[in-house]
Amino acid sequence: MIEFKDVHVSYEASAPILKGVNFAIRDGEFVAFVGTNGAGKSTTMRLMNGLLKPDAGQVLIDGVSTAELRTSELARRVGFLFQNPDRQICCTTVREELLFGFRALGQAGAEADARVDAIIEEFGFDPDDDPFLLNRGARQLLALASIVVLAPPVVVLDEPTTGLDYRECEKVMAIIRRIHEQGATVIMVCHDMEVVADYATRCIVMSDGRVVDDAPTFEVLRNRDTLERASLVPPQIVDLSLELGRAIPRLADAPVGSANTVDEMLAAVVEEARGAQDEERSVSA
Amino acid sequence: MIEISNFSFQYREGATPVVQGIDLAIPDGAFVGITGAAGSGKSTLTYALNGIIPHCYPGDFYGSVVVDGLDTCDVALTDVSRLVGSVCQDVDSQFVTSVVEDEMLYGLENFGVPRDEIEGRLEQALDDMGIADLRDRTITSLSGGQKQKVAIASILALNPRVLVLDEPTAELDPASSRSVFDLLARYAREHGATVVVVEQKIALLSQYADMLVIVDEGRIRFADAPAKVLEHSGELERIGVNCPRSTTLMNRLRAEGLYQGPSVRNVREAREALEEVLA
Repeated sequence: MIEFKDVHVSYEASAPILKGVNFAIRDGEFVAFVGTNGAGKSTTMRLMNGLLKPDAGQVLIDGVSTAELRTSELARRVGFLFQNPDRQICCTTVREELLFGFRALGQAGAEADARVDAIIEEFGFDPDDDPFLLNRGARQLLALASIVVLAPPVVVLDEPTTGLDYRECEKVMAIIRRIHEQGATVIMVCHDMEVVADYATRCIVMSDGRVVDDAPTFEVLRNRDTLERASLVPPQIVDLSLELGRAIPRLADAPVGSANTVDEMLAAVVEEARGAQDEERSVSA
Repeated sequence: MIEISNFSFQYREGATPVVQGIDLAIPDGAFVGITGAAGSGKSTLTYALNGIIPHCYPGDFYGSVVVDGLDTCDVALTDVSRLVGSVCQDVDSQFVTSVVEDEMLYGLENFGVPRDEIEGRLEQALDDMGIADLRDRTITSLSGGQKQKVAIASILALNPRVLVLDEPTAELDPASSRSVFDLLARYAREHGATVVVVEQKIALLSQYADMLVIVDEGRIRFADAPAKVLEHSGELERIGVNCPRSTTLMNRLRAEGLYQGPSVRNVREAREALEEVLA
């Protein structure tokens, strides 16, 4: 369980970043933080692994304040993927990079070696590659792998798909979904609303250093007030569904008016169009 | 006018050419979107346009790249820089000062902009990007998205004839991404400038670009109006380019025989098409 209680943070006295943030995330949830640049999302993430401590209020991990936990203790509980993998990668080979976390935690040994071997196989890495010579997508995957290999109960991801192409994005998100299905709590900042819609089950919306909405993902993404207040752009199919419901009022309560995915919208439109054709036929008969 | 003719480039340390046989003509004032999978050669194309290739990255250069009548191989990088404003993929590598205002002034002063014009240009660029409040902030205190806006503002202040931007909205929220594209389109219109944007966000490119260029394994696979390119959604997916979901939906409805119109580029076009289907 991660709890934020009236958390305040400022980097510069004149510009407070968090202005009283409150929420609680239960074990095993998949939560997306969304909002405009500068809303305080990345700062919120950095508070979860103790890179930052609040100026006022409390951040609690399993009931213990991060102010009382040592960084190494926090690192065991919370894995953190930085927005830019180059801020994370520090070793000269892929294998060393994957072992780095175990060494930092004093857990190097046969079990660590075996887990690193397994992850090298799973991700398809060459263990002798120089991480800094890999392309952006591969460096992001390596940074993610170096978190996954430690199997922390909570994984915090700051924009895990930024700068990745479509295939790399799918690959990264498939791995994140798998670790969630295996029981990890996943918390991510993400600007790609299609990714948020596809993976997160709960959305916390931030604006100007505060939480302005906190609800199941599609409740948030279909809430016009929230979208406007936090300058969010809904995923395309949700947007289309809302627009069609407004343009043709009878569709607002039909499946078209509640479709969230391409498959749902396709089925809804096919049903609606074929229903109309059947009606036409029976009238003309 | 930008004319790329039979252009191929192989980095000195590379084993094979990164781009090959590129032919592309971009008229003045065009808004061009370039996309493709990672490693397809998109960034190399932007380096060719802003002269970084061949002036900074050594390698084998074949063909020619001519921007506004200047062959980038024949002139100094400074001459290309006065014509082509660039925003790098990694904006941190672009910053040379520690405060936003100083960063903006750096380009203006080094380009010899008259003293009495500097303040006006600086304010205009900050206002256009919606970041006037960041003027006195240190760059290290900014979020990734805010840094990207500062990098774009510092280039816009120089009024370049050609703008080349490599993933300028990668770290921006969707609303800011749209406002950057709005601003780029307006800049192109008002200054008659040519804008070339490399992006993974194909939905944005499709909405704003006059020409969509798809690069695959160092070659141009498609270069046409976005609606024409998006008709090839199956092939695009095979080469690692994902169509906007409104496009995918309407292409699938076409396959079901329920829609006969052209490929749509955005939600508005999909809504208009579906209003007819469902009327």
